Amino acid sequence: MSISEQHTVLNPILETLRQKGNSSFAKQGLPTSKNESFKYTKFRELNLDNFVFAKQEHKCCCNEHKLGFDAYEIVFCNGKLCHNHCSGLDKIEVLPLIDAIKDKTSQKYLNKSFDMDNFPFAALNNAYLEQGLFIRVAKDYVSDKPLALVYHLVANEKYFCNIHNVVVLENNAQLDLVEYYYHAGDIKAEYFNNVVNEFFISKNATLNHYKVQNDAFKAFHIALNVANVKQNGRYDSFCLQKGALLARNETVVKLLEEKAQTEVNGAYVINGWATADTSTYIEHLHSETYSNQLVKGVVGDYAKGVFQGKIYIAPDTAKINGYQLHKALLLSDDAVVNVKPELEIFADDVKCSHGSTCGEIDKEQMFYLRSRGISEQNAKQILITAFINELFNKISNPNIISWLKSF
Amino acid sequence: MDKTPLLEIEDLCAQVDNKEIIKNFNLTINKGEIHAIMGPNGAGKSTLSYVLCGKDGYEVTSGNIRFKGQNLLDMNVEQRARAGLFLIMQHPVEIPGVSATTFLKHAVNDIRKANNLPEIETMDFIKDIKNISRNLNLDNDMLKRSLNVSFSGGEKKRMEALQMSVLKPCLSILDEADSGLDIDALKTVAKQINSLKDEHKSMLVITHFQRLLNYIEPDFVHIFANGRIVKSGDKNLAIELEQNGYSQYIKENA
Repeated sequence: MSISEQHTVLNPILETLRQKGNSSFAKQGLPTSKNESFKYTKFRELNLDNFVFAKQEHKCCCNEHKLGFDAYEIVFCNGKLCHNHCSGLDKIEVLPLIDAIKDKTSQKYLNKSFDMDNFPFAALNNAYLEQGLFIRVAKDYVSDKPLALVYHLVANEKYFCNIHNVVVLENNAQLDLVEYYYHAGDIKAEYFNNVVNEFFISKNATLNHYKVQNDAFKAFHIALNVANVKQNGRYDSFCLQKGALLARNETVVKLLEEKAQTEVNGAYVINGWATADTSTYIEHLHSETYSNQLVKGVVGDYAKGVFQGKIYIAPDTAKINGYQLHKALLLSDDAVVNVKPELEIFADDVKCSHGSTCGEIDKEQMFYLRSRGISEQNAKQILITAFINELFNKISNPNIISWLKSF
Repeated sequence: MDKTPLLEIEDLCAQVDNKEIIKNFNLTINKGEIHAIMGPNGAGKSTLSYVLCGKDGYEVTSGNIRFKGQNLLDMNVEQRARAGLFLIMQHPVEIPGVSATTFLKHAVNDIRKANNLPEIETMDFIKDIKNISRNLNLDNDMLKRSLNVSFSGGEKKRMEALQMSVLKPCLSILDEADSGLDIDALKTVAKQINSLKDEHKSMLVITHFQRLLNYIEPDFVHIFANGRIVKSGDKNLAIELEQNGYSQYIKENA
């Protein structure tokens, strides 16, 4: 993998960003278990030298709707932007990131929500910065349908898909953002999605972020989502992790002003030798902020689920609610779940809780269903589906619920 | 009445956690008959119902059970249900996230599939369960809610009776079907269960009290103590028990 294989039209701003990313990643390297935030997720099998960028001239045939519901759709193929059905929208500005960074506005946001020296994969992402979007929803605009980013993988080569999106919601704006990662080529394709999403949610704005990661079973998928939420703003997310050999969905939410709120929910349903890591860091940086997390996992075969959830409550704040709950079902004796909940509370007037449960499918429930004639396999499936479906109660868009249920 | 045996239990011994609970138990139920088993707490009544359904942990150590002439012990839990065995449970388990409608449709279709029948028409199915729930005074809302979750004792039993009505088993075992029911709910449930009676369908009613038997009238009453039947008779035996209690039977067999 080398920079020279990339987009040739470079500009000085991009060049500077890449150099910074490059030196930061060189300093950090791939994380090991000594890195506390990667304690349970091993990167032994990730060899960066194996990956290449897809050629720009790749003929893409994926201009078809994959979602099954009406949305403004943008398609990436093998990590390259290939169809932007949103270029002419009036109230939602959608620009390729590489074009947007020429402009001062986007520079106000890009990489401003995290310190890449603490996020090795975000540093790597910057070292190869090119693909991704700058999306801005105009003040007071409530989008009539979801904006969907479809990441399509078709080829069988070891592609490196390096995406960086910046999404800005101006005051009072509302958007449902869908991310869908899937593969349509060889099921053994070994590619690497490395994604950074930065969300800037202004006063009274709401972003609902739905993600489905259904990558090929030998793929790697690392995503960092950072949301900055201002007064009375809201970032709600739901992430379903199903595929990949190693998947990590990390969500950092900074509740910056009063009445900023977030719900960070998710599910992982994995088997084989897969690892699915859900890491969250909710920062209550102001009084009267609210967060809630519910993450559920279903782990079969030799798979491993990881949940690391941290809630931070800054000093001199008050009237804060922060809740976190993780529940996992283990379907085999060799399935593993590692859980690390953390609360860092530096204030008094705070309601916080965390909990985690881990168990097998309830034997009494299995007996009950089977005693009515339901096969063992169906009974198991009914109970797993019910376990996951609880998560959909909080989603208001019925199209998105049925889409999520289809996996 | 047709004297074809439906369920034949011979010298059954069964244990739970290595403790023998059922000891040389014998009982034959013919088609169309209603049998009541009455016994004190701890006699092994619920164990008997679980053994018949094939629940894990209820181990048959000796004896035979034939159901419709087939060896019941060769069948797993769902095969027994598909053959026509149904248990109204004393304490139906809560299943969050699964509605009665969804779950019953799975049950009906799995049973139909095992009998090489096509899947049921959804409209027919919905109409059927709505009719039955009306007879049972069960709100339509109850069919959509998570099964048994925060249902009252009466609602749970009515939900069991609903399932029995949909699945139309040839042998229903009612394990303390009256527990948790007030008198009105008891009448409603009993009326529904009675409506399912015909010359091919049999019932095994397990109870402490004679009360339920006022509504579901048995052909035979058996007193069950210390793991076996110690006395059999007609419905008058239940009335006698109500007056004198179980103590004489427990002593005799201690």
